[in-house]
Amino acid sequence: MIEGLVYIFLFLAAVFNLMGLVGILLFPDPYTRLQASSTCSTTAVISVFIAVMIEAGFSAITGKVLVITLFFFVSSPVGAHIIARYAWNMGIVPWRKLRKLSSKDFLHD
Amino acid sequence: MRVRSKWKLVRILFTTIWLYGGWLLYTGSFEAISLSLGAIASLFVAIITYDLFIAEYEAARKGLLVRIHYGILYLLYLLAQMYLSSFAVLINILRGNINPRVVHFRTRLHSDLARVLLATSITLTPGTIALELQEDHLIVHWLDAKTLHSKYAGILIKGKMETLLSRVLL
Repeated sequence: MIEGLVYIFLFLAAVFNLMGLVGILLFPDPYTRLQASSTCSTTAVISVFIAVMIEAGFSAITGKVLVITLFFFVSSPVGAHIIARYAWNMGIVPWRKLRKLSSKDFLHD
Repeated sequence: MRVRSKWKLVRILFTTIWLYGGWLLYTGSFEAISLSLGAIASLFVAIITYDLFIAEYEAARKGLLVRIHYGILYLLYLLAQMYLSSFAVLINILRGNINPRVVHFRTRLHSDLARVLLATSITLTPGTIALELQEDHLIVHWLDAKTLHSKYAGILIKGKMETLLSRVLL
């Protein structure tokens, strides 16, 4: 049961990390690439931490990993935020999906 | 002057308590030498850095120690939210169908710490990144925007995080 949970979380970590990398290659502009890389790999790393905590059981190691997780909860989004904020202050315009014009758009004019 | 020095003592005390907890967790031993060394070291570090941990103008804050049970509830809610939106982003990446927009909204929280925590949680949740936080005004980049209406976007992005945070920090 516990082994199974550990394997599930490690598998989730692998999937999220892989998909984050695929997202970096596919997405069009800095903001969306940042979304794919930073946030998905945050979930991957936290999945690894949860797997470690389940494997270690109730002990001192779990407490230490918990503190590391809390630090990671603070440090990772701050890093992503700094990159995004720098891009925003530099005036990089976010990519936007273009909508195809249809005949309905001209009815109200 | 007297009030200021009293408040300074309280700040040093609370910083020492937090640091000593960390010392106990990371050394993991309860011998007399370790305990006393930890107390001296955390008091020394607290005297140097108390101003960074608790700023002087935050005297109006009621809870210097957070309410632990709501804090745990908040962490669990954040974890669940993270996994749910991770799967949403996963599906977006696989389908290649994204609609990124920048939305603006406001928050009701008052203290600086609560606002920073809210922005951090928004960035931590996959699919949204906080670009800017000025006073109570947040600018957020949203990977799969459902709406551009300010209030509705705020409700969708913040979810229950705002109410929970206002309970955690008072």
